[in-house]
Amino acid sequence: MSISVTVNEEKDLVIINIIGSFDFSLFNDFREAYSSLTSTYKSYVVDMSMVEYLDSAALGMLLSMRNAIELDSTIRLEGANDFIKNILMISRFDKRFDIQ
Amino acid sequence: MKLLCVDSEPVYREIISLCAESVGAKVKSVDCFDEAISAFSDFAPDIVILDVIIKGGSGIDLVKQMKTMSGNRFVPIIFLASQTSDAVMGSCFQCGADDFIPKPFSEILFNIRLKTHMRHVELIKEMYRKNKALTYYQTMIEREHEMAHHVLDHIQTRSERNSEYVAITRLSAASFNGDLALVKTRSDGARLAFVGDFTGHGLPASIGALPVMQAFFDAVDDLVDINKLAERINRILISVLPDYMFCAGYLVLVDPNGKILYWGGGMPNAFIRRSTGELDYLRSNHMPLGILPVREFEADLQNDKLDTGDTLIIMSDGVLELKNTSEEMLGSDRVEVIINASYAEKSLITAQKIAERKLAEYQGESIQLDDITLLALRSTCLQ
Repeated sequence: MSISVTVNEEKDLVIINIIGSFDFSLFNDFREAYSSLTSTYKSYVVDMSMVEYLDSAALGMLLSMRNAIELDSTIRLEGANDFIKNILMISRFDKRFDIQ
Repeated sequence: MKLLCVDSEPVYREIISLCAESVGAKVKSVDCFDEAISAFSDFAPDIVILDVIIKGGSGIDLVKQMKTMSGNRFVPIIFLASQTSDAVMGSCFQCGADDFIPKPFSEILFNIRLKTHMRHVELIKEMYRKNKALTYYQTMIEREHEMAHHVLDHIQTRSERNSEYVAITRLSAASFNGDLALVKTRSDGARLAFVGDFTGHGLPASIGALPVMQAFFDAVDDLVDINKLAERINRILISVLPDYMFCAGYLVLVDPNGKILYWGGGMPNAFIRRSTGELDYLRSNHMPLGILPVREFEADLQNDKLDTGDTLIIMSDGVLELKNTSEEMLGSDRVEVIINASYAEKSLITAQKIAERKLAEYQGESIQLDDITLLALRSTCLQ
């Protein structure tokens, strides 16, 4: 499985871990990762430290997640390599996400 | 699961039938060569169990014939024989048999071996089924991509022809990814250009392209300001596309004096190659089109200048991500070298061909994964 979800109730935090290529093939799994949670959380982290490549479909999937999650919850995109960070910045995802 | 048992001894036919039926197989037993051949074609068994010596022929020849008859179908053939010398076993496997069980046999061992073979047959059948379904979907998607190409090509025909002012190169990949490049000169002499890159592939990407094209050509006719056009396209895409789809792009207006006004969102840097050989950048500082709701959309423009001999070059990320035979991406450093060398050429049409050739040289024999779009504009004709 290239997506795993960890819920930390104490910290009101969800971590979605993605491994490998973050692309269209993960469309359903990624949506499932945040929409199948039974309650909402204060902050969400998409850990991309193990992601090698990300395409524009993945950007769309992140936007879809942003739309699905309550506005006052934060989504942090964490651990992106330089290549991916560059893609995120070109598309100005810093306007919608907290990019670390 | 159907099992064909070929044995000349009635007692073995009975034991084998009992065993096979106990593990859920439907059994047909025959006692001679010819009957085995006709049962193989009429009964169409999934597994065959046979002896080396059979009335009317040899088991070895029977296996050879059955293997030929089964063609692409996987039918395990298991010898059950009392001749257990290495030579006999060797020729059994050589003629294509899949297993060999010596007689007399232990029923437990026989059942286990039989179940293993039955499982293999099931797995392979499942694989065939999935393969068939995948082939179906693959063909369907190929047709859809073809149609998307067709739609995009149609849009593209309304764009301005290549000249000493405008050069557009589009190289389509096998899997279409939604690049769009449009250029049209307005009645006031200013030239409007749009280079866009839709998320997604195939048909979905081309669906967004249609209304964008309409908005673009309307804006050419009505001399709409490009900040208004950016807003308009954004609004269209917000309403047409689902939230996971958007369009990165540059909208550029070059007036007859070479003054550039542009809006850029989600695109890699574009270049102005100065006549001196220096490179300046156009930067897209907005989110792509089709993401931000109307009230949040930012339509502020940037400007630059295209002097005599300068070339404006916009490319989709397919160019930057072009891979050579060692899977290395072209990247921005090499792109800049190619641009600098190619657009030193006085004729824009020739310059564009040089750039295309250099990209093709880099790519070599490797497969192009993304569409490639390369747009070059000049405000003056140097020839």
